[in-house]
Amino acid sequence: MIRSAYVITGIAVLLVSCGLVWAVERFPPPDFEGGHQLPSPTTPHPRQDIYEYIDVAVLLAALGLASYLVLKKRSRRAIFALTVFSLLYFGFWREGCICPVGATQNIVLSIFDAAYVVPITVAAFFLLPLVFTLFFGRTFCAAVCPLGAIQDVVLCRPVAVPNWAESGLRLLAYVYLGAAVLFAATSSAFVICRYDPFISVFRLTGSLNILILSGCLLLIGVFIGRPYCRFLCPYGVILRQLSRLSRRRVTITPDECIRCKLCEDACPFGAIRKPAAQWSGQDYRVAKKRLALLVLALPVLILLGGWAGSSLKAVTARGHATVRLAERIYLEETGVVTDTTDASSAFRATGKPIEQLYKDASSIRARFGLGGWFFGGFVGLVAGLKLIGLSVWRQRKDYEADRASCLACSRCFEYCPREHVRLNKTKDIKS
Amino acid sequence: MAEDNKIINRRHLLKDGLWGACLAGLGMVAGSSANKHRKTDTVWQIDPSICVACGNCATYCVLEESAVKCVQVYAICGYCDFCPGYFELGAAALEPGAENELCPTGAIKRTFVEEPYYEYSIDETLCIGCGKCVKGCAAFGNGSLFLQVRHDRCLNCNECSIAVACPSGAYKRVPADRPYLLKGEDHA
Amino acid sequence: MKSNNDNILQKTGTVSLWYRSAVVTAVVSGIFSLIVCVFLLGNHGRSIIVKTQQETELLDLRAQSRKQPDNEQLLAQIRAMDLQIRQQRLRALDRSTKGGYLLLGGIVVLVISLKLTGTLKKKLPAPHASKDAADEQIRKAAFARWMMGAGVVLLGAASLFLALKPKIDFSLTGAAGTSLTSAEQAAKSWPSFRGPDGSGISTHVNVPSDWDGKTGKGILWKTKVPLVGNNSPIVWGDRIFLSGGDPNALQVYCFDAASGALLWTGDVTRVAPKEGEDPLEPMEDTGFAAPTMATDGRHVYAIFVTGDVGCFDFNGRKVWEKSLGIPDSSYGYASSLAVYRNLLLIQYDQGGIEDGLSALIALDGFSGQIAWQTKRPVGNSWSSPIVARIGEQAQVITCADPWVIAYEPAKGTEIWRAKCLKGDIAPSPIYSNGLVFAVEPYSKLVAIRTGGAGDVTQTHIAWSNEDTGPDICSPASNGQFVFLLATEGLLICHKVSDGTKVWEHDFQEYFRASPSLVGDKLYLLSEKGRMFIIEAGPAYKELTKCELGEDCHASPAFADGRIFIRGMQNLYCIGSSN
Repeated sequence: MIRSAYVITGIAVLLVSCGLVWAVERFPPPDFEGGHQLPSPTTPHPRQDIYEYIDVAVLLAALGLASYLVLKKRSRRAIFALTVFSLLYFGFWREGCICPVGATQNIVLSIFDAAYVVPITVAAFFLLPLVFTLFFGRTFCAAVCPLGAIQDVVLCRPVAVPNWAESGLRLLAYVYLGAAVLFAATSSAFVICRYDPFISVFRLTGSLNILILSGCLLLIGVFIGRPYCRFLCPYGVILRQLSRLSRRRVTITPDECIRCKLCEDACPFGAIRKPAAQWSGQDYRVAKKRLALLVLALPVLILLGGWAGSSLKAVTARGHATVRLAERIYLEETGVVTDTTDASSAFRATGKPIEQLYKDASSIRARFGLGGWFFGGFVGLVAGLKLIGLSVWRQRKDYEADRASCLACSRCFEYCPREHVRLNKTKDIKS
Repeated sequence: MAEDNKIINRRHLLKDGLWGACLAGLGMVAGSSANKHRKTDTVWQIDPSICVACGNCATYCVLEESAVKCVQVYAICGYCDFCPGYFELGAAALEPGAENELCPTGAIKRTFVEEPYYEYSIDETLCIGCGKCVKGCAAFGNGSLFLQVRHDRCLNCNECSIAVACPSGAYKRVPADRPYLLKGEDHA
Repeated sequence: MKSNNDNILQKTGTVSLWYRSAVVTAVVSGIFSLIVCVFLLGNHGRSIIVKTQQETELLDLRAQSRKQPDNEQLLAQIRAMDLQIRQQRLRALDRSTKGGYLLLGGIVVLVISLKLTGTLKKKLPAPHASKDAADEQIRKAAFARWMMGAGVVLLGAASLFLALKPKIDFSLTGAAGTSLTSAEQAAKSWPSFRGPDGSGISTHVNVPSDWDGKTGKGILWKTKVPLVGNNSPIVWGDRIFLSGGDPNALQVYCFDAASGALLWTGDVTRVAPKEGEDPLEPMEDTGFAAPTMATDGRHVYAIFVTGDVGCFDFNGRKVWEKSLGIPDSSYGYASSLAVYRNLLLIQYDQGGIEDGLSALIALDGFSGQIAWQTKRPVGNSWSSPIVARIGEQAQVITCADPWVIAYEPAKGTEIWRAKCLKGDIAPSPIYSNGLVFAVEPYSKLVAIRTGGAGDVTQTHIAWSNEDTGPDICSPASNGQFVFLLATEGLLICHKVSDGTKVWEHDFQEYFRASPSLVGDKLYLLSEKGRMFIIEAGPAYKELTKCELGEDCHASPAFADGRIFIRGMQNLYCIGSSN
């Protein structure tokens, strides 16, 4: 018995090849005299397709219901109930995956990678909320998105985010979107999924770092309304722009605004816009000059941003596994490091030429360089437009919900006296 | 007044135009993805010809108990009495016991069939997917033990954390109706 | 009125009761959640720390029990510890799952109670009177713009900082070595037997030509080598490597080039002979450590007569070792190692021609795994492979009975082969100006033109001089003449163009070290340690003779202004102190 172990060791040492060998049968399958039946490995199947379609159907129903509840019924209670349902179904039951936020990356990947085909259910998850937003505003955010739902549910003591911070923080969401598109387009990584802060809560498990991130974000969310939705959500960036164009929109008052100011502090997300004040002529002229300057600065910002994004290609390219491997191999080859990693030894065992690896890494870097122009240019464009946006005022006479920022949570309705009239709670009130 | 109306009308036209363009854009995205004709969803699976049994599958899964387990393809197994996936290299005796076995959780069950053949099967409730038996079997045996993602456990994350950490890039997206890459099968 | 008030009082009474209970629930559930959270973190942390601790302990115990297979108590300990680890893992898993649910429950109760307090004590909206609305708006907008600008500047600064960090440039990879610096350094070092291309030609011409072992003149230092071996020293930078062996140990030594201090000793495990087998006793002339080591600037490699290979880094850490099995070699295995990029090349010739045991093996220098191995249709041999740069290509050239074969080093495919040798081949081939010179002991010197493919026996053998040939020493050529040195002391000079003998000289001393060329001088080291420095020209001319005072079997190694010679007992550094 012992000798056979040594013999096997000796033979085996001679026979050891790099890596694991695909189905080398060193020992021929036995001929059982007793007629022993060979069992088969079990192959439990994944979630049936039909359930994926059911998810899409539930999404469609929830979107329709949310739009109805926000625009027609205007009931905060009903919206909250739907929010809790979405949290339970899309959040805890489906464990937050697949979600429209992440589906963005799948769509981008399918555009840039011919070999990847996005499943139709995933495409539906991406498109349905966008279509509903084009018609009804951000009703998806109101009561359907599980990430928004969990933040909405823990919001207990809303604190207003100062104006000057609001716009700047939102730039982060654009950067996040740009980065997500860049990394998905280069087939490097799905960063939205990797850093999803709430999915670990839905799964009740995850890496320690992500769990800590979740905890912090939820704790912040107790005081600052929906921090992820307002300042980080990359899908929310798309929803903002589509919501600006929506056919129907969320109004605080059911019919007309009497400018009673009672709804000023109603929105925990800072989406209520006050009527614009009249300016003096001189202020107007100064503002016009500033606007002209900022419009001229816009292409400069775009170019600067694009150049910065492209020059970061060596850093961003490290998001791709091949580039990381090539860099590690390079460090080993030039003697900067003396030991190997699992990845580098696995690569060496394949026998692929290192020059080819370097070529592949260089071409991936070039793609990141090109993508960086778009990424940086996009961030520059957004920053420039925001600066312009902060210099322009719409003539506003009523208290309105900001078309892009309003999350349709329906909290503000009960602050409006006109709403109380509609619900027959008080007698008619005139301004 | 008329001027104002004109400006407002122009603005409305612009807005409507943009709205229509967005809707058309979404329609294009819908059309192109439907065109590529993927009926089923994809799931993650390990290609055993690329896997190097590094042990990351046991630690990088988002689930505390990894969805990756070792499978045994009995048709390839040599039923050796000195199984290099069961016994540690240089084991003192070919007897079951913590001092001789490779598996840290004791998930491999060894049953006598007939002289000199033993059948080795994996208890999935104990296997953690560390790949130690896989390494031994591939280096010195027939390679009938290898790691596979078990789809009754896998959450099918959009980005598999183990796929990211895999040093040899063995993780692939496979169609959900053929979710396993078992050795000895045809892999188109 | 009164009933109304009463009603209101009742209502407020119930409301405040609900409110207070909601607050209490919130506090309690908050504390509960915090406790569960801390517990979960502790569980996680403990399982990691304790687990790693226990696992290392278990590994130690298992290693111990390997050495004492009959120790029953040790076995029982191992089993108990293993069971403990497994149980703890399952328990920790169970605790974290249950804890997760408890935490979720606690947070749900906390959130519900907090929300209740919010709804129960709602504040009525109190809009403040706006001051100068326009000014306020303008001020706020201006501040927001500045903050935004600051944010953009911050982003710009961050990206500038990241972009300026040093990057890896993939285009900087040399053709010969794996990086520009390695290739250059390889050319300046003496990384394997007879130098970087196995030709015995030193790239440094400023080496000493005058020393005396008895007086110590010209000898910078001499250090005792712990175990004997016939292998020649190899040099890389300021490090010299030797190996030595005896029946009990196989060792690798690293010396400092400046001081001669023995910096570290590495042990290569000798795979124990199998039960009932006699331990290997190599011929005394060969010894345990006949093959010369090789280095690629990152690792040093050594192989011994037992077929055990060891790889160390420059600090002495053993990176890997491998046993190829004892080669069937009549005089004992003696082929030196060669290096190509990250591959270690081993000419593993054994047995008879018909046995089919010989192979050229390439091991990956980083891991020791076999990168490729090609069978050779030859019998056992004692010559070493050389890696020659022929045009744009590198070729590994090997000699044995009966073929001289050139291989492509990255994959081990044969490029060309020529059938021209017979017998016990010990001299190694050399490459010079389009010709490969191979020696058949006591019989001939063959010149083969490179550039062929496949079997070139009929087409590419330029000439074959059948006068005589050395049996141990390898040839040396300066492109015009090729020099052969027989063991008995006969030095013959042939013309490269057609192989005709130009002159010969009998030293009447024995030689084992192969000749080396430095500029236009030949350095010949006799068995008695005497270095004959002669002119490498069309006539014999002795320039000088230097005594070492110790017997030598190994070939010298050349470095900048230095010669390193291994005597039977000591390693010498020849050079001047300035």
